[in-house]
Amino acid sequence: MNGILSVCDLSFSYPEKDVVKNVTFDMGQGDVVCLMGPNGCGKTTLLDNIMSIHQASKGEIFLMEKPLSKYNRRDVAKHMAYVPQIHQVVFPYTVEQIVMMGRTAHVGQLGEPGIKDMENCRKAMEMVGISDFAKKPYNQLSGGEIKLVLLARALSQQARLLVMDEPTANLDFKNELVFLETIVKLNMMDKLSILIATHSPVHAFYFQEKGLNVEVIMMSEGAVYSKGSPEHVITEENISNVYGVRSRIFKEMCTDGSSIRSMALLGTL
Amino acid sequence: MSRTIAKKWLVRSIILLLPISAMFLTLFVGRYHIGFFDVLSIIAPWNSGDQYSSDQLWTIIFQLRLPRAIAGAMIGASLAVSGAAYQGVFRNPLVNSGILGVSSGASFGASLAIVVFGGGYLNYLLSFVFGVAAVLLAYLAGRIYGSAPTITLVLGGVVVSSFFSAFTSMLKYVADPYSELPALTFWTMGSLSSIGYKHFWAFIPIIAGVGIIYLSRWKINILSMGDKEAATLGLDAKWYKVLIIGGATLSTSSAVCISGTIGWIGLIVPHICRMIVGNDNTKLIPWSMSLGATFLILIDTLSRSISTSEIPIGILTAILGTPFFVYLLKKTKGGGWK
Repeated sequence: MNGILSVCDLSFSYPEKDVVKNVTFDMGQGDVVCLMGPNGCGKTTLLDNIMSIHQASKGEIFLMEKPLSKYNRRDVAKHMAYVPQIHQVVFPYTVEQIVMMGRTAHVGQLGEPGIKDMENCRKAMEMVGISDFAKKPYNQLSGGEIKLVLLARALSQQARLLVMDEPTANLDFKNELVFLETIVKLNMMDKLSILIATHSPVHAFYFQEKGLNVEVIMMSEGAVYSKGSPEHVITEENISNVYGVRSRIFKEMCTDGSSIRSMALLGTL
Repeated sequence: MSRTIAKKWLVRSIILLLPISAMFLTLFVGRYHIGFFDVLSIIAPWNSGDQYSSDQLWTIIFQLRLPRAIAGAMIGASLAVSGAAYQGVFRNPLVNSGILGVSSGASFGASLAIVVFGGGYLNYLLSFVFGVAAVLLAYLAGRIYGSAPTITLVLGGVVVSSFFSAFTSMLKYVADPYSELPALTFWTMGSLSSIGYKHFWAFIPIIAGVGIIYLSRWKINILSMGDKEAATLGLDAKWYKVLIIGGATLSTSSAVCISGTIGWIGLIVPHICRMIVGNDNTKLIPWSMSLGATFLILIDTLSRSISTSEIPIGILTAILGTPFFVYLLKKTKGGGWK
């Protein structure tokens, strides 16, 4: 394996209940992993374990082929960056100041970012196309812009693996697509690996259609229910078993000869 | 590039010059009238005190006005910086430097010294000890599962504050209304009137605490994003929280123990700075230092010169600061808050 991330038989439980049970998967450089599953199935908890917010009760996680427990926070952050789901900022920092926070792991213990960090931060903003509003207060941005700012912050961290927790929740579909296109661009250009928790089957199909190396992991009640390529995992049968929803999955031919899968919801079981 | 560097140095010199000029100005002002040129000739470096005709004037300037100005600068800076740091770390723009119970703990300590032990040096010692003890208690009260989440920590501070306030009220109730009660009341409203060079030892912990916050000022930005994000950005949030809260507590309790509780500065001065330079703590912390110092020097100058008896600082800060704050709020259209 040319392992970026490798999760081996990972379990995690809160005092009252098991939340993640025996999860195993591998990610190589440039891989995209879509983590799916209904609310409360343990996706976020799994991500928290991977980002060493929680300590696993059983099993082990390897980051760059080295056990996660051997890393300190700074070094984890140099390899793995996080794009959060909901985001409230108490103080109205400017976009630039938020993106600069991605440099935390690269700035000395005491002190502030220097010229190199500013350069890095400028590049990250350029990459996702937000340079125009660098000086704008963060709380005056739209939902779509906020997500791009958080993505730029993750990029300025210069990590090889991006972890995202439902990044497109509460975006309209234009903004959703802008975000997905940016991810595809980053994956193609820089071979960044992307671990993304998402509710939308469309995301996995979209990445696949763009030619990325996609794997879908479908979780149910803390355990992996099914994993593999999108068309193998996102099936009408699996959707009905895991989500309790009747659906139709169909294949649409585009005018340029390519095809893309999509899903229609029919009703709850 | 050279223009930005020039601008940086200009800003730095303004930050430094504001409190220094306030300190200089305050030497000229006071109930005892000393002519402008008399003051100038006394403070001119080529004059030493014993040569000068009037020892009395020399004493007023160098034994009364100067130490108060220096202490005002130190205390004002420490209250404002601690307030700004607490606001960032607790992710709450409404907290002030007394949020974890420092002020009420210190008030209780001072009251205890005045009523039970008859004041004196115990006053400083007990107010410092109880100021720090109150924060430790707040921390223990807010601790859950071995870590202290922000909200429970603030709640801990609130309950510990009211706990100590209750004891202070009890001491006020039993205090001698003619000798002890006025001293007690005066202490809880804050004053620099008794400060002399002999109190300058308190500057050591004040400078240490403010220095810690100054050095970790950029980290406050990261901490204000919340523990989880701070962690994923690569910051050991727990360690920095302890460091910054510790620094703020050390400097506030040292300030409070020589000046009494001075409200308002720890809340409003950081907000005035937020309106002027924004929320980035790399700028906010130095500006809070500078404006906090300047503000307290000027207020103290007024408190000792506008009437024959001293007016407690707590009263003046609120009366003068509030209109100024409202003016700024309107002028900057809320400074980015929505």
